Amino acid sequence: MRLERRDRFHELEPLLGKVLHPARYLDHEWGAVEEQDGPFQVCMIYADTYEVGQPNLGIAILYNSLNAAEGISCERAYLPWTDMSALMRERGVPLLSLESSSPVASFDIVGFTLAHEMVATNIIETLDLAGIAVRAADRDEDDPIIIAGGPSAWNCEPLVPMFDAVLLGDGEEEIVDVARCVRDARDEGASREEILLRLSRIESIYVPSLYDIVIDDESTRWGYAVPREGTGAPEIVYKRCIPSLADTEPVAQRMVPYMGIVQDRFAIEVLRGCARGCRFCQAGMTYRPVRERPAQQVIEAVGEGLAMTGYDECSLSSLSTTDHSQCAEILTALNKKARESGVRVSIPSQRLDSFGVDMASAVSGARRGGLTFAPEAGTQRLRDVINKNVTEDDLYRAARNAFEHGWRRMKLYYMMGLPTETDEDIVAITDTARRVLEIGREICGRSRKGKNGVSVTISVAVFVPKCYTPFQWVGQLERDEVRRRQQLLLTSNKDRDIHISYHDSDVSVIEGALSKMGRAGFEVVLGAWQRGCRFDAWSSEFDYESWTEAGKAAGYDLEEVATEAFDLDAHLPWDHTSPGVSKGFLKREWRRAVAGVTTPDCTMTSCTGCGVCPTLGVDNQIAGDRHVG
Amino acid sequence: MSGKPPIGRPDLNRLRVMFRKDGRLAYLGHLEVINTIGRSIRRAQLPFSVGNGFAQRMRIQFSQALPVGAASRAEYVDIYLTERIDADEALRRFAEASPSAMAPVDAAYVQSRMPALEAWLTRSRWQVRLLGTGEGFTASRLDAVLDALREVGSIDFMRGDKPRTIGLDTTLVSWDAADGVAEGPFSTIDLRLETRSSNLGALRPAVLLEAAFKREELEGCLLDSLRVERVGQWHEDEDGTLIDPMAFDLRV
Ligand code: SF4
Repeated sequence: MRLERRDRFHELEPLLGKVLHPARYLDHEWGAVEEQDGPFQVCMIYADTYEVGQPNLGIAILYNSLNAAEGISCERAYLPWTDMSALMRERGVPLLSLESSSPVASFDIVGFTLAHEMVATNIIETLDLAGIAVRAADRDEDDPIIIAGGPSAWNCEPLVPMFDAVLLGDGEEEIVDVARCVRDARDEGASREEILLRLSRIESIYVPSLYDIVIDDESTRWGYAVPREGTGAPEIVYKRCIPSLADTEPVAQRMVPYMGIVQDRFAIEVLRGCARGCRFCQAGMTYRPVRERPAQQVIEAVGEGLAMTGYDECSLSSLSTTDHSQCAEILTALNKKARESGVRVSIPSQRLDSFGVDMASAVSGARRGGLTFAPEAGTQRLRDVINKNVTEDDLYRAARNAFEHGWRRMKLYYMMGLPTETDEDIVAITDTARRVLEIGREICGRSRKGKNGVSVTISVAVFVPKCYTPFQWVGQLERDEVRRRQQLLLTSNKDRDIHISYHDSDVSVIEGALSKMGRAGFEVVLGAWQRGCRFDAWSSEFDYESWTEAGKAAGYDLEEVATEAFDLDAHLPWDHTSPGVSKGFLKREWRRAVAGVTTPDCTMTSCTGCGVCPTLGVDNQIAGDRHVG
Repeated sequence: MSGKPPIGRPDLNRLRVMFRKDGRLAYLGHLEVINTIGRSIRRAQLPFSVGNGFAQRMRIQFSQALPVGAASRAEYVDIYLTERIDADEALRRFAEASPSAMAPVDAAYVQSRMPALEAWLTRSRWQVRLLGTGEGFTASRLDAVLDALREVGSIDFMRGDKPRTIGLDTTLVSWDAADGVAEGPFSTIDLRLETRSSNLGALRPAVLLEAAFKREELEGCLLDSLRVERVGQWHEDEDGTLIDPMAFDLRV
């Protein structure tokens, strides 16, 4: 049932003194859009705490697009921490939006960001706290239309029983199309069923209820989705792709939170997409093609954004900022400004080469904290398998350069459980770290007890195969084997200045299962939530036992689900929601991976035939000239 | 963001700003207030001075931290400016760039050789509304309990998971309690409280009242919540005179 739209902050206020971090629930931040007169109302939700969700650039972009559209307003909501949600349930206060403190269940549309797989139970928790039926099929005619989209939408099947529609690809224009469609249909008195039909006719909108799941000889055990006859829903829904980033509003993040949040700085998207072609990387495959924002636009927007927000730090955000063809030009210009006003510039990741180090030193001023590189695999052989086009020499040269520039602490990111990985690849990780440490000691001088401050930290994640990558068919490495290799890595290290940290293999099992399952997997997610799982991305809250019990109750061994390999010719559970990259290309990349053959970056050489550009009618948009290394 | 007092820097102009903190923003913590004011100053493009350290912090100093959940009509911040712009003009720009619930209300240049605000402003006046239930939830009973507490002389309380003690003979100056009108299911008491801080600490109204409601005289009473507002801050000199931080003779 749709709740009445009215300000209910007075019901929340008495609870603020009783919870942790009340600033999570305050709103009225500088830059928030306070006039919310609609009349058509959308609420965007990041289903985690305020401080985790608020920095999300995607939501900021959609928030601006919707609030700029005539007759449409957009507010935000986050998932209250467990202390607050318990009090709210006790006192019968439903989840409220931030801007107007209206019940989320009073909105016309409620949208969720699928930021990663582990947000699954939080979405159920959010709907439940809002008083909205968890399953789309159980909703009333006048209930809000529940939509979702974001980086993790490519295998949305285990979650779609909750969604009326899923938006694929770039959301800034798509979301306005969806809002207008629902508004017009509501104005005409259309039924919920009719609204969903109309949504399915919009480019890149997937309406799950119009598809049946078919399990047959060509499918995996999860089956595949087929449009129901007579609905006219497309067999494959392709993502929306804006042709040029230069035509979008560069200053997306205008809001300044009161509380300290993750990434508390002004962020600007300097490019979208990355074509380096790392074979494990889902973002690299699903955000293609590469679209750069021109240098001049970036520089002006940073000035405008800092003046508007009062931040003293700006971040140039993207999948691979140092690949921007005008990166040096942008940093030189921003640093000049920064020196005058005590502002810091940061880049989220740097390339593993000397250019990367040069850029990192350009932004770090006099401060030299730690510098992070991501070789991802220990041997050249394995790096060729995953198409990480860097050599050992690149790494050593970059490290040398970094130590010479004054850095003392080096952080190296790796993955464990990559296809074809052997013990030799694991041991090579510490060998590499030792060599980097040696270089550091050579440059900074040797001293006992690490007095020179030189140290190397190795951080190892568990590889989780993701859909729409060349590794989508492989099974994840078994938990016990992950642990054995983690142990091997630990024992292979003898140096006290090398620190090793690795990810929890239990979390990876659940992430892996959620990445593999089809629609039937929703029963597992629901069961986990019913057993108390929420905030699964918080290690303090994650509860492996409850997840595996939920799996068992639904008839699945989740570790087996995660480790199952799919047949190369199988009809996959996610074939109908496509980012445009062709299956032929992914198969070819898989075969090249196994053969250890690398594939170059199409923005630095020529098209490598991933299929995205011809399928979506777009092209790489490179502002200057890109060249290798 | 707040830096050390740039004592011995007569070239800098010390702009004192009085601001409110009310409505929902009462729930901001001190660090959040510091960040918010710092960003407002940047947005207002006041010619703030930056420290010499690595982190290049803005040179600002605040009066004593307000407890989370407390509103205020009289918070203060000193901003060190490299240029003496008109105080009214600075106030106008600052106000325009501030969230309305944390709006600056007065600004003036003050002597640069005065001590930092935090240590100098030793007296606070609070207006507190208590919401609660129970037979004995009355102003007269509270009055008696506060008397008894003062008799004891100190309060033990927890700050996070650390036990603390605060003496009451200097910190608790006076109070005045009156029964208020009922709010929904709750009875109310309005309490005006005068406190004094020293380098041994400051008395927070919530700490005092929680201790009061733990005493047996108030057994059976439930203190549901507090609405706390600081209504004024002063410097108390040796002979007990209260000096307004915006006082005319401090201005330059
Ligand atoms: S179609 Fe070609 S040019 Fe376009 S992203 Fe794919 S590989 Fe690059």
